Amino acid sequence: MSTMQTRQSAPLANAPATEVDDSLVRAGLGEHLSRAAGGPVAITAFDRLSPGFSWLTYSFRARYPSGETRQLILRLGPPSGLFAPYSVLPQVYALQALAGTSIPVPGLVAHAEQGDVVGFPFFVCEHVAGHVTAPWTGSSAGEEHRLRIAEQFVDILGDLHRLDWAASALAELPSPDAAEGRMELRPIAGWRRLIARPMQRYYPLLDWAGHWLSENCPKPPRLTVVHGDYRVGNFLEDEGRITAILDWELTHIGDPHEDLGWALMPTFNAGSRKLYGVMEREQVLERYARRSGIPVSTRSLAFYEAFALYQAAGIQLCGAYAFEVDRCNDMRMAAMATRMAPIIRALDRAIEAAA
Amino acid sequence: MSQSFERVLDGAIEALRTTILPHLSDSFVRGQAYGVIFALNGLKLGADWAAGPLLAQVALQDKAFAAVSHLAGGLSHPPIPALPRLAGGVTDGAALEALRDEGDRQLGALLMWASGDAASQDQAVAGEIQDTLRRFMREQMTLDIGTMAKSMFHELATGEDSPPGVSARG
Repeated sequence: MSTMQTRQSAPLANAPATEVDDSLVRAGLGEHLSRAAGGPVAITAFDRLSPGFSWLTYSFRARYPSGETRQLILRLGPPSGLFAPYSVLPQVYALQALAGTSIPVPGLVAHAEQGDVVGFPFFVCEHVAGHVTAPWTGSSAGEEHRLRIAEQFVDILGDLHRLDWAASALAELPSPDAAEGRMELRPIAGWRRLIARPMQRYYPLLDWAGHWLSENCPKPPRLTVVHGDYRVGNFLEDEGRITAILDWELTHIGDPHEDLGWALMPTFNAGSRKLYGVMEREQVLERYARRSGIPVSTRSLAFYEAFALYQAAGIQLCGAYAFEVDRCNDMRMAAMATRMAPIIRALDRAIEAAA
Repeated sequence: MSQSFERVLDGAIEALRTTILPHLSDSFVRGQAYGVIFALNGLKLGADWAAGPLLAQVALQDKAFAAVSHLAGGLSHPPIPALPRLAGGVTDGAALEALRDEGDRQLGALLMWASGDAASQDQAVAGEIQDTLRRFMREQMTLDIGTMAKSMFHELATGEDSPPGVSARG
């Protein structure tokens, strides 16, 4: 659920809460696909899937003029989502760049950045077999199974960070140039802007943490593609195999330690310090370094573990902002705001460890 | 809690009216939902955040102000309010909440000062002030945690009950 359009250009205000009418979405989608196919495309079995906090997900079947039927997935950025207004482009670039690589992603079928037909930014991709494990409760699968998945998870991250992004569609993402200098500071600046929005409750320790992170950000070993939300819960697994890495909306160019710090957060591993509850941190780091060719810096990892908590606090605060300031009546947003205190306390400890 | 008490009640009532009730067809269940709306409307008239936890936070903030005042000595610093800030028996939740929030902003200004200007005046003292303020702020977060309900993040994110006994702890 931790999604926003890009942290480089973090949105400064949520759009007013607006309900998404699924029947209108379905009609617009049919029109869009028909236009692209040069003939009528029939949409059937159109269902909204998870009640996500951010991008909405729909499953549907499309019957093309040729008679071919495809099982597809629609992802749509709603105006009342946690990080609205949304851009579909980071996901589009990622799916285009990674198609056919060792990083499994769903095939991109269609997309639109402007919501002129469907009403909102969206993309359509192929349906991929598999299920998602909820990161908060963990998997009921056996240890051996989870270890196999954890190993693949680490290997895929290593491959992603080895990718020559400059020669791919991901080069369209904001990239470093001589004038701007340190790319890795952009996500920190983006979250600081979001967290600084005036609200009823001000958290001084969180404000100070943003200042500390900006002042103490280490230099990256190299600039790589960063998934931005790489964790349990953002991949599909099927019969012991990861079949797709999902949720590329936060993709950016930055420090590879950022993905490691995020993936290792106990929150995403059902409270465990082990990846997927089974893989020791040392094993993760060793395997990752071997696969990516990037030596892991203890200092950088500690920094990005603190940054991960800062982001987590920012996400909760976005929920509070949507509820309190934008008057979005989604009670899940109200509930999110109640979790600030433990995150901020953990963040301060993480900074102490990283200092 | 990051939100005002009234906003939480308004949001809950509105969510029941516009998001939940239109999807309820069982008349008994609809009656239950209206009963909850009625109860929430009643709470709006007379309830507020409990004063006790807010009083504890305000008292802790006062200790933090006093400690910084002592440590800062002759350094030029952002304003520190006269202590104690609570004269008499203020128990009104909204007033205490406003006092706590204002205290947070003032302590935040002091912490940012200790990380910047103060360090250029006296680095050792600035470091001590930073550590002191962070310690008090962590304590305040601990007080906040004492008033938090158990997390239901899985339920909120998936719309499903937490599976019993499922854990990835290794």
